[in-house]
Amino acid sequence: MKVRTEYKAKFIPSDRLKKVMEYNQELAYTGKRNIYTADTTQLVYHWTDKSNGVVPRTGEWSFPPEMNLSMGDHGCRVDNGQSFPKYDEVPSHVEGYEATAESWAKDYAFLLSNTPASIHPYESIVGEFFWEMNEIRKYNFGEKVHEMGREVRKLGAGGTSHGHTCPDYNIGLTQGWGGIMKRIDDSIALYTRLEETEKTGYLNGLKIVCQAIIDYIKDYADKANAFADKEADEAQKALYRQIAQDCAYIAENPPKTFHQAVQWIHFAIMTDRIVGHGNGYGRLDLYLNDFYQKDLKDGIITRQEARETLAEMFLKIRGQHFSIGGRLKDGSDASNEMSFIILEAYDMVDDYNNLFLMWHKDINNELMDYACDVLARHGASVPSMANYDLLVDCQLRSGVDPDIAWNVAVSGCQWFCLPGREYCDQDVNALVLLDPMWRTIDRGIEENVTDFERLMEIFKEEFKRTAEALRIFKDAQYDVLDKVWPEMATSLNCHGPIERGIDMTGARGVDYQFTSTNILGIPNVADSLYAIKKLVFEEGAYTLAQVRKATDENWKDNEVMRQRFLRQDKFGNDIDDADAMCVRVCDIIAEVLDATKNNRGQQYRGSLFQFQGHTCTDVLPATPDGRLAEEPLAHGCNPTAGRNVNGLLATANSVTKIKNYKFQGGSLQIELQPRFFDGKENIGDYIKHFTEAFFSRGAFQINLNIIDLEKLKDAIEHPDNPEYRNIIVKVTGYTTRFICMAKSFQIEFVGRNNYESL
Amino acid sequence: MSHSKGFIFDIYRGTTHDGPGMRSTVFLKGCCLSCAWCHNPESISSKQQLWWEKNQCIGCGLCEKSCDGNNCTLSESGVSVNTEKCKKCAGCVKACPTGAISFVGKEIDADELFAELKKYDSYYKSYGGGITVSGGEPLLQYEFVKELFALCRQNGIHTALDTCGAVPFEYLDEVLPLTDCVLYDIKLMDAALHKQYTGQSNERILENILKIADGKRQGKYSSEIWIRTPLIPKITATAENISAIAGFIKENLDDTVSRFELCTFNKACANKYEKLGIDWTLKDFPVMSLKDVEEIRKIVEESGIDKEKTVISGITSE
Repeated sequence: MKVRTEYKAKFIPSDRLKKVMEYNQELAYTGKRNIYTADTTQLVYHWTDKSNGVVPRTGEWSFPPEMNLSMGDHGCRVDNGQSFPKYDEVPSHVEGYEATAESWAKDYAFLLSNTPASIHPYESIVGEFFWEMNEIRKYNFGEKVHEMGREVRKLGAGGTSHGHTCPDYNIGLTQGWGGIMKRIDDSIALYTRLEETEKTGYLNGLKIVCQAIIDYIKDYADKANAFADKEADEAQKALYRQIAQDCAYIAENPPKTFHQAVQWIHFAIMTDRIVGHGNGYGRLDLYLNDFYQKDLKDGIITRQEARETLAEMFLKIRGQHFSIGGRLKDGSDASNEMSFIILEAYDMVDDYNNLFLMWHKDINNELMDYACDVLARHGASVPSMANYDLLVDCQLRSGVDPDIAWNVAVSGCQWFCLPGREYCDQDVNALVLLDPMWRTIDRGIEENVTDFERLMEIFKEEFKRTAEALRIFKDAQYDVLDKVWPEMATSLNCHGPIERGIDMTGARGVDYQFTSTNILGIPNVADSLYAIKKLVFEEGAYTLAQVRKATDENWKDNEVMRQRFLRQDKFGNDIDDADAMCVRVCDIIAEVLDATKNNRGQQYRGSLFQFQGHTCTDVLPATPDGRLAEEPLAHGCNPTAGRNVNGLLATANSVTKIKNYKFQGGSLQIELQPRFFDGKENIGDYIKHFTEAFFSRGAFQINLNIIDLEKLKDAIEHPDNPEYRNIIVKVTGYTTRFICMAKSFQIEFVGRNNYESL
Repeated sequence: MSHSKGFIFDIYRGTTHDGPGMRSTVFLKGCCLSCAWCHNPESISSKQQLWWEKNQCIGCGLCEKSCDGNNCTLSESGVSVNTEKCKKCAGCVKACPTGAISFVGKEIDADELFAELKKYDSYYKSYGGGITVSGGEPLLQYEFVKELFALCRQNGIHTALDTCGAVPFEYLDEVLPLTDCVLYDIKLMDAALHKQYTGQSNERILENILKIADGKRQGKYSSEIWIRTPLIPKITATAENISAIAGFIKENLDDTVSRFELCTFNKACANKYEKLGIDWTLKDFPVMSLKDVEEIRKIVEESGIDKEKTVISGITSE
């Protein structure tokens, strides 16, 4: 049996596209698309004074290669093995660093104008980059904020603000960069007349950024023409000419054709992604369907051509999230022909793609069937399934205007966003629930607590302290964020920044600026509290002091005691008492965060998710749920691996006992044995029905890998075996090549529950 | 109000292997056969048994200290339990901190069991699935099964009965009116071989399925009928046997059977034998290859049974 199920391809790529695939796949498996983190503290607390959240590959703030842990090959940046050649000429290095939008904009423009246009034979969609902003410009809040970061980390809080939002490309697709530029000019004129110098300063910076993007696209037009002039092969020559024409046109004008629209989006993403962050890009089927329908009517496109164009973009942009499906403003199903073509493009080229299908009960049944069929055949969680109506409910609960909440899109690992209207720090803040738990146990010992209810009161107080620490730290960042690291490329396609003269990261730059935070270790803390309740407070078998000591010593010489704690009922088995503790912990989190507001007056939102912090066993001590320090924590709000023994349905029921609508996302991660499907017809049907039942019970998201983890273990030892080269898995909220991940992440992945049945 | 207690040893929540759609399967303890390949060796005895799992044992010795009759002993090689002398004082089970020692089998009321299974109702309904009773031989507790199935019927939950058929026909007759799908095992057509490998002759099994088919033709039962055959290399997975079973189905049951399911042998249950302290005679048997499976498929095809009805599932060596 193979690691994966084999399947027959439904769509066949053209020979031209095959060449594009080969080139992109080679970049991926040779590690040229890897994304790195250099510090496990960063993964746990999402902040470290070493790297400030982003890990530059080159330059002054980079790390020695041996320190770099690869998260996988989902980077946009193409590693050409060189550092930025004009590093010493970067404006802020020559003129001196200033924390202003204009200074940031000049560095950005310098980087973009010195990023050579890169066009490969056979491509029809072009655009690459080789260095990111953080390689040339310091992302730094200053020593005062850093000191604060070190202090709040001790309390279990951390976070940084970089990207992790979602622009609205309907703006650019209808106005073009030229149209956007005109709005900037109008706004500059307005604020000049009104003597609003801070705003004109920002807008002048924005103008520099917009012009840099236009010039970058024009560069591609020039280069493609130069290539065409020299090219002997007629087909390739024509391809270069076409690229040149498209680029020349869309540098300033809004795209006219489907191909131009895809190329426009691709450039928008490249020039956004070069900043070095994890944005999502919205509802791709809604962006593109009209362009496709028009071309179809004009007789200038075939469905296969549309697939190939999309496939090229997917191959190049790698880890960026798009959504399809969902509803329209009037509540009707939003899926359209383009929703199918997007899935077909993936189906044709495989490789990975962070695509979400936003399911709702009125979704086009054929689309759902096809999506489940694609998911079943490829087995790599494409598309991931998200529960659209729940996403809208969550947005409404946060206070989003009902008139615009409908346009929500899953935009990252597990988070969702209103394209162009939110800057909410998704996925980059962390509350580490272990820290308030330790303080709760310590206070329980000090105060000689004999009543478990009192212990839970203390837990709530301590969690509040951690949340408050995060609030103070984030407020200090927000005070200077639009000077230190404005998101100017993203702001160009948002509703607010240009007319208001405020970056989307600045107060009121966009309407919605909640603070979202990941929460690490919810199931472990719930299971720990439950075991303490049973063994310390009900049975009196141990004291809190013994628990503290045993876990501090990683249960050394205390195996019997550890086993007793481990054998208590655990979250994830549909056992009401144990699950109730997890629900209670979640309720406490939601209650505290609902009452916490940032200095923009907007509330905090917790996420039942944390992407890779659970793997960082070097910074996470043993816990009273019987977990050894060397074992990973639970992944998000999934049960800790090996603790759920009653089957997937029991786990699914446990997860839906949590009031998901009080949170900002959370995913059920399923690794399913390919053998489940032996002899089964209509594999996709199983996935479809499970999804529908699970979502009807109020869950957010399903990430589903169909993979034999036992077989995959061999890939850890033999990464060079070509058989393993293209094995792609949804690790957490993101998808990546297995062999491109650091060993510690690989080991955690193969150690997960490999369900034998859905 | 509950009338009878069932004796069960396991519940699988969410399986797709025992009947249509997504199901939960409850396993009843006690069997009238004792097949050499049995996948649930703990299901054969109708008594509560002690499991001991070597891998989970940390050698703490608490079992030895807590046993009434000194039947648990800790030695250099680990813990051994004298299963014959064990008086089921449960001292060891309670004392064991890791769960390495436990009892298999527990009594449960039909309504309590139903409440547990009903928790996954929305998944069954979404998938066109329901509840399956398996075993052991569930019909040895037919009154309990009847009560459980009646509750399912009242709640619109699909019912499937996984039976070896080696029971008095009255048992079947009691339960079938409440059964939506019967998964009926025909393992070996040769009566002597059947007796050799399962401990019983197959006469009653074959008689019963003919009666069920007649009952279905007469409209007495509305259950769907699936015939299931385990593919055990060299025993049931022989050309003669499969050809004979397929021929029997084609000749006598074809109009009433909607599916012929053949499941390949696997050794996932080997550790169950270890836990029970039984030396499993089939532990070194080979797993079937894809080629073997294709040959079996060909034989079934030759019998004239509709291809669409035949499903071969399970693990192969490739």
